[in-house]
Amino acid sequence: MRPLTLRRLLLQCLILVVILFVVVVIALKFGAVPVSLYALGRDLLRVLFGQSSQISSDYGLIIQNIRLPRILLGILVGASLSVAGTSFQALLRNPLADPYILGVSSGASLGAILALIVEPHLSFSPLFAALLTPLGAFLGAAATITAVYFLGRREGQIDSATLLLGGVITGSFLSAIILFLMSTLSGSLRGLSFWMMGELSTPLQKSVYWFLGIGFLVAAGVIYTTASDLNLLLAGEKEAMHLGVDVPRVRLVVYIAASFLTGLAVSVSGSIGYVGLFVPHAMRFMFGSDHRTLLPTAAIGGAIAVVVADTLARTVVAPTEVPVGAVTAIVGAPLFIYLLRKRPA
Amino acid sequence: MKEFTRSRLRSAAFASVAVLLFCTAMSRAQGASPVSSASPIFREVTDETGRTIRVPQPVNRIVSLAPSLTETVYALGLQDRLVGDTDYCDYPADAQNKTKVGGGISPSLEVIAALHPDIVLATKGFNRLETVHALDNLGISSYATDPHTVNDIIASSKKLADLLGVPEAGASLAAEMGHQLTNLQQRLASSPAKHVLFVVWHQPLISVGKHTFIADALRLAGALSIVDSEQDWPHVSLEEVARLQPDFLVFAASHSSSVSPTVETLATLPGWSIVDAVKNRRVAVIDDAVNRPAPRIISAIEDLARQLHPEAFVEKPGNGKEKIGKESPPPNQPSSYLPDVFQIHMTSTGDRACAH
Repeated sequence: MRPLTLRRLLLQCLILVVILFVVVVIALKFGAVPVSLYALGRDLLRVLFGQSSQISSDYGLIIQNIRLPRILLGILVGASLSVAGTSFQALLRNPLADPYILGVSSGASLGAILALIVEPHLSFSPLFAALLTPLGAFLGAAATITAVYFLGRREGQIDSATLLLGGVITGSFLSAIILFLMSTLSGSLRGLSFWMMGELSTPLQKSVYWFLGIGFLVAAGVIYTTASDLNLLLAGEKEAMHLGVDVPRVRLVVYIAASFLTGLAVSVSGSIGYVGLFVPHAMRFMFGSDHRTLLPTAAIGGAIAVVVADTLARTVVAPTEVPVGAVTAIVGAPLFIYLLRKRPA
Repeated sequence: MKEFTRSRLRSAAFASVAVLLFCTAMSRAQGASPVSSASPIFREVTDETGRTIRVPQPVNRIVSLAPSLTETVYALGLQDRLVGDTDYCDYPADAQNKTKVGGGISPSLEVIAALHPDIVLATKGFNRLETVHALDNLGISSYATDPHTVNDIIASSKKLADLLGVPEAGASLAAEMGHQLTNLQQRLASSPAKHVLFVVWHQPLISVGKHTFIADALRLAGALSIVDSEQDWPHVSLEEVARLQPDFLVFAASHSSSVSPTVETLATLPGWSIVDAVKNRRVAVIDDAVNRPAPRIISAIEDLARQLHPEAFVEKPGNGKEKIGKESPPPNQPSSYLPDVFQIHMTSTGDRACAH
């Protein structure tokens, strides 16, 4: 492992941030309503300098209130899923782990749906009621990863194939329960495609973006403090323990934080799959598998991936939209198969 | 790895600053007031889902998110104010030329916003609550209808006309619809109701529940749905159909597509031969206007009544009664009102009935 310097880390992040910026500009430009690059640049400068009131262009409303919030949501969701995927891959020492494949996203969806069902029957203040869905999603995610973790253990060791199969089957079981709830209940629950395939099309309250942003920073920050321990864990739990890593503590902390990230993402966007799988792989391929580099680059890379996927989702058959999860699955599932076949026996 | 702790902290600080900057830019962007319109006059109304909304007056730019609402807007003679509708809005033909905002489930918010509508019309059975919330967040007024019976549809059209500033057109449209229904009920008074299965979709078999406007439309046509479900779009098993043996199957066929099966292809499908109505080719095909809670549903009801109860429509010599559907419109009928809306199907679908 090459010694890591702050300079190299910052340089790598900077490159990715530049790519993210370019992707965001492209995402802002393309959509069902055509916008010229010139008008876009002018409006963006005005927003940055706090003169949004001067935006008189016909498209100001579209850029500021529809596309920009959606892109921001994509960034936060992508970064959360990607960091969660990276963490699960390290903890389970399985390169094929991903919140969606392990069934954690389905668990989060089910938790969120149950929260939506009970919410009207409890009289909470509006603020707490709004937090109930992400809380339900978090609990669902945490319960699922715990179950899948124990499913995947055989004779005290995590068995890779059992773990993946256990995750896929758990996900399928939870999806069946969601289907069942959806067909027996009607009312204000979101559509089935939202929970099954994920979408980012609905603008949310401003406070939700703050909640997501701060929640992401805290959880990702917590995971980042264990980055060196995760590196040692790659050698094996026993080996890491001998090298002085408090394995049970790291495991608990990272599972909770990664479940929290998955819950956050799912409660606002439904199940968007495979982002946590292919982004960490791409980043490992480019920047190496040191988690001190991998975690921040995966976060930015996840943001890029989801913004690109969502831009495709809303432009390929505009003005009708495709669920963004369908786009990520079309890219991610073949990659999963490739990695599965390539894996050493 | 020790010296890395500091760099780790620094990079974490860097990342948080970047995200905070973005959030600030966002909150500024979000804080900006939506494009200020020149019309300061607003009217407060409560829509059919109980939401109180503010509607700019007068309403000059309308976006419709459902085919039924598009049809109602045309029937009220307001087609020139309709600036956008959905991919599924195909009636009247002119509605296909309007700017399309996508489907009813996930319309493109940006296309809607770019149209600068005074009001967006939605209906609970076709659109999603999230769309309405999203429009609220964008400062775009939306009005939702939620009809569950044919009388609801009439009342709903009338309320919509009031909202859009054409109460007279609404009153005469409602009067005309009510008048036709009353005439029809008089004709059917002595005909016992036929038991029917309304087929929304045949693979899997989906019918209608008792709280839908379609079930009500069937009742008004002298037909009783054999499906008695609380759910709006229940899956029904063929076994259940065979047990209840409806007198007729009722299909809604659209003009634009020929996907709906004729009874001949249905009879070849496995399992369907146990249904007597299929064996005996007792099937009524009516216009898919019956699927839309819009004024045209009255003509679909009449069409179905003619196919199920032909005896009620036999003109007795010397009766003097005019034929339904050819009655002269009330004198205060606005000229822009679609003249053929209630008569078009008599000729186009009446001969498709397969009743023996």
